Amino acid sequence: MAVQQKDVVIVGGGPAGLAAAVELYRRGIRNILILEREKSLGGILRQCIHDGFGLERFRQTLSGPEYAQRFIDEVEELKIPYRVDTTVIDISKDKTVRAVSPQGVLECRTKAVILAMGCRERTRGALGIPGTRPSGVYTAGVAQSYINLNNKMVGREAVILGSGDIGMIMARRLTLEGAKVKAVFEIQPYPSGLPRNIEQCLNDYGVPLYLSHTVTRIRGRSRLEGVTVAQVDEKRNPIPGTERDYSCDTLILSVGLIPENELSLVTGVRLDSRTKGAVVDENCQTNVKGVFAAGNVLQVHDLVDFVSKEAERMADAAARYLSDSSLEECGLDVKADENIAYTVPQKISGEKNFVLSLRVKRPMKNCSIRISQSGEVKKTVKMKKALPAVMIQIPVQKDDLNERENLEVSVTC
Amino acid sequence: MKNMARQFDVLIIGAGVVGCAVAREMARHQLRIGVLEKEMDVAYGSSGRNSGVLHGGFTYKTGSLKAQCCVEGNQEFDRVAKELDVPFRRSGKVVVGFNEKDMASLRRFQARGEANGVRGLEIVDQKRLRELDPSAGGEFAMYSPNSGILDPMAYTIALAENARLNGVDFFFDQRVTGIERTDGVYAVKTERDVFRTRWIVNCAGLYSGAVSAMLGIDGYVIRGFKGEYIVLDKKAGAFINMPVYPAPNEKGGFATHAVPTVNGNVLIGPDSYMTDDFEDYGVTQEHIDGLIRDGEKMFSHVKREYFIRNFSGIRAKRVDPETGEVLDFVCEARDEAPHTINLVGIESPGLTSALPLARRAVSLMAEREGLKPNPDFDPARKAVRRFNGSAPAEQGKLIAEDPDYGEIVCRCENVTKAEILAAIHNPLGTCTVASVKNRTRATMGRCQGGYCETRIVRMIEEEKKKKVTEILYSRKNSYLFTGKVRG
Amino acid sequence: MLREYTCIICPNGCEIKVRADGEEVLSIEGALCPKGREYVTQEMTDPQRNIASSVLVKNGELPLASVRLSQRIPKDRIFDVMKEIKKVKLEAPVKAGQVAIHDVLGLGSDVIVTKNVGAI
Repeated sequence: MAVQQKDVVIVGGGPAGLAAAVELYRRGIRNILILEREKSLGGILRQCIHDGFGLERFRQTLSGPEYAQRFIDEVEELKIPYRVDTTVIDISKDKTVRAVSPQGVLECRTKAVILAMGCRERTRGALGIPGTRPSGVYTAGVAQSYINLNNKMVGREAVILGSGDIGMIMARRLTLEGAKVKAVFEIQPYPSGLPRNIEQCLNDYGVPLYLSHTVTRIRGRSRLEGVTVAQVDEKRNPIPGTERDYSCDTLILSVGLIPENELSLVTGVRLDSRTKGAVVDENCQTNVKGVFAAGNVLQVHDLVDFVSKEAERMADAAARYLSDSSLEECGLDVKADENIAYTVPQKISGEKNFVLSLRVKRPMKNCSIRISQSGEVKKTVKMKKALPAVMIQIPVQKDDLNERENLEVSVTC
Repeated sequence: MKNMARQFDVLIIGAGVVGCAVAREMARHQLRIGVLEKEMDVAYGSSGRNSGVLHGGFTYKTGSLKAQCCVEGNQEFDRVAKELDVPFRRSGKVVVGFNEKDMASLRRFQARGEANGVRGLEIVDQKRLRELDPSAGGEFAMYSPNSGILDPMAYTIALAENARLNGVDFFFDQRVTGIERTDGVYAVKTERDVFRTRWIVNCAGLYSGAVSAMLGIDGYVIRGFKGEYIVLDKKAGAFINMPVYPAPNEKGGFATHAVPTVNGNVLIGPDSYMTDDFEDYGVTQEHIDGLIRDGEKMFSHVKREYFIRNFSGIRAKRVDPETGEVLDFVCEARDEAPHTINLVGIESPGLTSALPLARRAVSLMAEREGLKPNPDFDPARKAVRRFNGSAPAEQGKLIAEDPDYGEIVCRCENVTKAEILAAIHNPLGTCTVASVKNRTRATMGRCQGGYCETRIVRMIEEEKKKKVTEILYSRKNSYLFTGKVRG
Repeated sequence: MLREYTCIICPNGCEIKVRADGEEVLSIEGALCPKGREYVTQEMTDPQRNIASSVLVKNGELPLASVRLSQRIPKDRIFDVMKEIKKVKLEAPVKAGQVAIHDVLGLGSDVIVTKNVGAI
């Protein structure tokens, strides 16, 4: 196949990629190509059949597939070019994208690349949970895919490790399908997911949540037979003598999401070790000129509505990049104090309004988030409650800042 | 075919690397050959759970079967790898030392190696050591240029497939429970069937002592030495060129080492502790911690962010029941068990020694019975072509010939639908998720099947027309699903 | 009597404190919007929930179509509704928005399909 010339190639047809495509079109960009490795567009939303999507954006509580369909319909209506069943396997530093499909190898030389690959789940192997290797151990997303997309029931009696949203959603899903969910164990002293999910997924169904606990051993030679669970101390080490055995045939792991940036590394994109996503400026541009990132591949989101907004802001900037061949220099760093897990963007210009995303490291009540330059507070946001599970987004006006000094973000309570 | 007695000339018990090598070598002759394996695929035991090293042969007692077979197997392996189309790299190996005791040990084994016929062994200083492998720990080392790395699973599968190509039948889920001899014919009872055969070859690995007793040859004591491993991401693989081992102890035993795999990962391990339970492949926290500690001495990139997974293996050591001393391979044909070939205690260097042992087994049979060569025997076996690692132009061609090469199923390892289909329809007739994994590397990457496992399962279901509850992960009862969600 | 609720209507998950004397509500504090007050009032008398599940699709590109309820239903009827959902068999093609069960168990809510499934 001949090398095709594109203005923008979007890697990933999930919520971030779709929103970016539609926004780019609205900004007058036509030579777009979305590349999606699944057989249909929609990304992870295809398997998120529960509601709660679109509360902000559409003032409705939609399921994942419905939310995705809104954007897919627009892409179809606007006839934005896309290819499914096509996997990008390389993005060179000079922005040549190589992808593979049953039709052959596709090569696109493009002016801009949008990274929208989403994230993968942390695995049992990465955690190194001791014990045997029976069947019956699933990460929550895989279990969700089996049940919701593949019509396969994963087990009858489950234990869930990790109180992330996906784990809690699966606790409810499994219970509704007749499985017994014995408990959810969370290694931190506070839940990883949204409080409303503890209510509607665990409390509603009588599934107990044990904080400061973890699975220390997996048992079973062929199929899972049980797990050993222990309490942990402040350093997250199992406390000897607190071990308890739970018999079960299914262990669901909801122990973290990791932005899927293997391709980005090949392109020379620099990653932030805190987010595991790219270091970006207020335009969502990475250190490689013309390469942008948004959605879960940039930072793991809890609300898809924010993903769409982030992708649209990025697309606006990408459209300007295409017309001007460059964007403003973003030389100011955004620094965070020890109470903050991370901030995105990591670099700003100080000349434009932007949205600051951040997460706190631990639950905080009645706190103040301060944005300062050289110790001078430029903006304060008071919050009754700040949770690591809930991304905080703060709009920052350019008039609040000067264009000379780095930003310092702190949280105190 | 169930419960019908099947008649063979030779029945091989155990489809590990030795059993499959014997099957392949036996197939050079006109014989009806069958292999009985208790698991659902080849290489479930020790053969699939090791460092994947082609040993040089310098630690074994001069004149022993271990030493002879190892050196023979090492020298011929370039040809063998080509014949069977399996990945192999003659990487060399460094055995590193830190103090005078280590140096004495290295010199001792250098001398022994030379006596065993191992070529090219040299003691090198730290400067040369760093040239050979920049990340290796150690002040000095012995360099063994002829050592190498291979994929033990791929090798065993290749031997089995070549055997199958040449007419050998494989029977899985057939754990041998008893052996009787009537009128010159053996009846081999398994959990599900009875097989009749004139000859039996015992290649049962950890169970070789037990099977030997079934043949009427008592007294072999097999001790299980378990070792755990950590698998590191291919990113770590960029930092290591060849296996890095610590200087051996007096008995020639090696502690935790760092080995690059032929696929680009790094293995840290194994450690060593005794176990009575020959089917307990669990991994433990203390051992993982110990591996990290000892591994860091050999390789400077043992980082948590590189951890992909852990696994364990159990080495079947034949020991002296009185002293506990580890003894040599046994490869014998005893009069008190007529028409049997007994291979007992095949542990390291079993992988390297597999074909040499197999040839000796065939010779033992040939000495007692005239064997006619099989004119149709073909020693060559071609592997399924891999998309990953092919040049871009080659990739385009593959897809043009077969569009299924254009559908990537395992994203982490770039394994395509064509390869998955070939693995599902493999010549041995076995089909579990693990059998697909072991033939293609799908699910072995960073996401551990997070993306591809659901697709592989769907393909197994469709291609093999299996009920949802019949889809297995690896062992007989390792069902993945309890039923459909609807319908 | 003081009761605390975590509102589930939106991701804010407001912690709402309700002071009541028997059936009489004295005060509701902590809700950032009127929906929160509605939620706890409902929750105290007759908790309602929405659920999502799947129905079988025959001859479709996918084996299942996801469904959800168009209205919330009483929490204690969830498993009764699930029983009805499990009985449904739709024929492809299926469109999002299509009604799979009309007014399920007379509870005032439809079970609606939320995903398009084409016919093979």
